[in-house]
Amino acid sequence: MEKGLTVRKIVIAGVLGAIAILLGVTRLGYIPVPTAAGNATIMHIPAVIGGIMEGWGVGMIIGLIFGVSSFLNATVPLFKDPLVAILPRLFIGVTAYLTYVGLKNVNQYVAIGVAGFVGAMTNTILVLGMAVIRGYMAPGVAATVAITSGLPEAVVSVIVTLAVVAAWKKIGSAGKQKSKISGDF
Amino acid sequence: MSAEFELTRNITIGQYLPTGSIVHRLDPRFKLAAFIIMILAIAICNTYVGNIFAILVCMWLFQVSKIPIHYGVSGIKPAIPFIIILAVLQLLFYGGIANGGTVYFEYGFVTITSESIRLVLVSAMRFVEVIFLSSVLTLSTSTTELTHGMERLMGPLEKVKFPVHAFALIITIAIRFVPTFAMEMEKMMKAQASRGADFGTGEWWRIVRRTKDMFPIIIPLFNVALARAEDLILAMEARCYVPGASRTRFAHYTANSKDYVAIVVSIVISAVMLGIPW
Repeated sequence: MEKGLTVRKIVIAGVLGAIAILLGVTRLGYIPVPTAAGNATIMHIPAVIGGIMEGWGVGMIIGLIFGVSSFLNATVPLFKDPLVAILPRLFIGVTAYLTYVGLKNVNQYVAIGVAGFVGAMTNTILVLGMAVIRGYMAPGVAATVAITSGLPEAVVSVIVTLAVVAAWKKIGSAGKQKSKISGDF
Repeated sequence: MSAEFELTRNITIGQYLPTGSIVHRLDPRFKLAAFIIMILAIAICNTYVGNIFAILVCMWLFQVSKIPIHYGVSGIKPAIPFIIILAVLQLLFYGGIANGGTVYFEYGFVTITSESIRLVLVSAMRFVEVIFLSSVLTLSTSTTELTHGMERLMGPLEKVKFPVHAFALIITIAIRFVPTFAMEMEKMMKAQASRGADFGTGEWWRIVRRTKDMFPIIIPLFNVALARAEDLILAMEARCYVPGASRTRFAHYTANSKDYVAIVVSIVISAVMLGIPW
């Protein structure tokens, strides 16, 4: 966020935040899995995509929107605790962005895919870690959930992130951006 | 059959019940602050009587804001199975971790103590309280008011260069676009269904299948959203919108005595809740 928030960053954050809210309220963001957590979520994907596309600031804001909407819509007591529902979600976009920047020069596709994976794992590990610290879950249960729903989440995150960001960035050809004022031109 | 595609019907965001009560007429900044104070108190309070008192306060709030209590109860209903499962897990596995208290039952790794029972009951009550409180807040405050309130509450953060106005704009855009994207998604689901795709009909344990069903919806949804974002960026820039420029406001809030009373009441309630020793 060196230059502060540009119009592009504001709008992308808002629009991806809308998707995060939508996936939550329509329950389409939840994939039922037979574990204690009940659901694998794909609601962190907008934060990952925002982080990769527009930097850590945008990723963090979308994470915040996701966190607040999951806090307000929660049906599991675990997520009615702001420390579990909101705080860990702030870091999803940040780690995804850092991973993407770190690997960008190696290979764009690899960078996007790994960023998708890291973002999803950030969500899983921090949320479950916080759940253990706050006493909602025993460490063993948390580890089981991390494996049974965290890994499928991460795989889905890699596929969706790659599909969306690669299509949007049109790697190897001209970008799709209409506006020439803001953005990293 | 077509009911499962009607996403817009289930969206309760921005649900607002204008009863014109005193709670509705409070300054949104003060209402939000009072809400935050009480949520924090609920998060800390772990006594039985304190939590029962909080539930009574929530019921009183429904009464005062003239909102039928079934709006709050309908938020709790879908959660009951989760509460029960969580309660059983906590009861079975937390005896060893929640230290102190009398041990009532011990067998293998299962230990039930008075502290683990307290943990179970208090977390269930806390959950009910938070649902009640957030229902009162969202049902008595329109989204515009909430956004304004949030923007003004975060005002002091401007001093540390936090982009308060931009942040409020992001929230407004996000809330504005939820129904639009819901409609887009509905269209896409119908289009895919007309080609023979089926959503959510696979058995729930077939995770891979159900996940794959999502891709033809989720990926185009992102692309449609980003295309709309491009249009909006262009439109805003064409109108010379500059983030962070100083602007005047259309809506001005002036606090009066009842707003200060609301804050004092919330502090007193929180203090009583935390002060009760049992």
